[in-house]
Amino acid sequence: MSKALIIDDEPQMRRLLRMVLESRGYEVCEADEGQRGLQEAAFHRPDVILLDLGLPGIGGLEVLKRLREWSDAPVLILSVRDQEAVKVQALEGGADDYVTKPFGSAELLARLEVIQRRRGTRHTPEITAGPLRLDLLHHEARIADEALKLTPTEFELLKALAAHAGRIVTQNQIIRQVWPGQVSDPGEGLRVHINHLRKKLGDRGLRILNEPGIGYRLEG
Amino acid sequence: MNAAPSHGPAPRPPRQPVPVHVVGQFSWGLTLLFVLASLCWWLLPFTGSMFSALVFLLAIVLAGTRWNRGPVLAMAAVAALVWNYFFIPPRFTLHIERPEDVVMFGMFFVVAMAMGHLITRLRAREAALEHYHQEREQLLQARHRAEIAAEAERLHRTLLDSVSHELKTPITIIRTALDGLDAANPFTAEIDTATRRLQRIVENLLEITRVESDAVKPAPDWCEIGDVLHAATAPLQRELAAHPLRVTGTDHLPLLRLDSRLLAQALANILHNAAQHAPAGTDIEIHVTPPSAGPGDGPNLLLHLRVRDHGPGLAPEMEDRVFDKFSRARGAPAGGTGLGLAISRGLMRAMKGDITVRNHPEGGAEFLLSLPVKTRQP
Repeated sequence: MSKALIIDDEPQMRRLLRMVLESRGYEVCEADEGQRGLQEAAFHRPDVILLDLGLPGIGGLEVLKRLREWSDAPVLILSVRDQEAVKVQALEGGADDYVTKPFGSAELLARLEVIQRRRGTRHTPEITAGPLRLDLLHHEARIADEALKLTPTEFELLKALAAHAGRIVTQNQIIRQVWPGQVSDPGEGLRVHINHLRKKLGDRGLRILNEPGIGYRLEG
Repeated sequence: MNAAPSHGPAPRPPRQPVPVHVVGQFSWGLTLLFVLASLCWWLLPFTGSMFSALVFLLAIVLAGTRWNRGPVLAMAAVAALVWNYFFIPPRFTLHIERPEDVVMFGMFFVVAMAMGHLITRLRAREAALEHYHQEREQLLQARHRAEIAAEAERLHRTLLDSVSHELKTPITIIRTALDGLDAANPFTAEIDTATRRLQRIVENLLEITRVESDAVKPAPDWCEIGDVLHAATAPLQRELAAHPLRVTGTDHLPLLRLDSRLLAQALANILHNAAQHAPAGTDIEIHVTPPSAGPGDGPNLLLHLRVRDHGPGLAPEMEDRVFDKFSRARGAPAGGTGLGLAISRGLMRAMKGDITVRNHPEGGAEFLLSLPVKTRQP
């Protein structure tokens, strides 16, 4: 059974999230502000944390920063619209994904599921995402046993997206991984390669979705 | 040793003409001395020559507090000579007989010149100080005004964020709670519809506030038009379900540099408007024209997007007014806020673009969005 920690200042929101999560078999603990949230996280060692960005006192971003000093528990950000810059900051500060209020419970549960998949160390030189298999040893990509002809850059790009399949990856995160050290207007090059990659992936059940102002998500 | 080639003396700067008020001071100074000298001459039998020396010094000090340095120093020199000529025996010569009178005259001359010099310099310093003081005041005031403006903007933003948070939280709670209810129950569907409508109203009111207070700051980045269209239509799945979308002109389009979030939002409001007014089952067409040179010869090209529905079109009196706030067509379905199109126009204008509407010759309303963009072939 997974343990979830909800850090949100709205009591009704916490109650509701608790009901939704408990109905899916989560064990739930909650905190109404950041400092307590950090204490609860240290005490209960949750498997996943739901963090509201608009907390009173120390804000969501600061909570995330302090949490990441000692914990790598997956974090799902609860945000409102028009906070794109803050969302990007949170994602690059170690959050795993976000949902925008108002959200449906199906969306919330799906995101929670995805970010709890095993992260960190890999034991096989292979990444799979839906029908996609990336062989990191031989730099080969296959969709349903059909080989894709990718340039090295496209392969790196697909690797960056597939390693986080189903999760949002910010533009900067992709660029840092695919073009380390590049600085001059890399958004342009990224768009070009995403475009090529989309054409090569075609209509085979894998989609690279763009979230304006934030980044990309590979959905399989 | 070779001297550097000489070009002769540098041409002297043209002499500044003496200002009128300085000429006035010269003549006033001499007149004053003349009057004082006459007075002292008349009083000489009763007072002696030292009295006139002190009167002259007093006049020089007073002149120094008002006048320029030149006239004051000239006054000092003339006063010394006048005193010598008329008041120091032997009179009517510049010759001085007694040694103590020589010393006296010398002291008078030095004191008069020094007074004139010091007092005018003091005045110049005071004026400079006053000038600095005023400049400083002005700078402080300007800074103060800037601080107040920044503070007002920050407060406005905080208020908007807080109102936004307060209004959206209950809607979020209702939406999330609805998921827990039985979807087959017809009441659930009614609550769901009403909540979506409420959410749209709240979002539109907040958005029009942002647009009207110039709080919308475009952040252009490279993007594909397909991503923009996806971002515009994805939140409208439900509304667009009854209207097949026909998108043309997006193939082989170059990369565009624009704020895709804002354009998607502007487009979404127009699509929502079209879906509301056109009868169910009719197509909504989106046509993208490859960017072409706009008016002026800047580096920007003009991107055109046309959105056409197959609804009743616009009543003639509405054509100019559809983009006004709260303007709603007669017979428009309930549930609209009359804000969507005003927001679209505000967003397009924030991006230096614009939006117009006309009735298509073959029926239906046609919106034209134009936007300056930079392009790059993918």
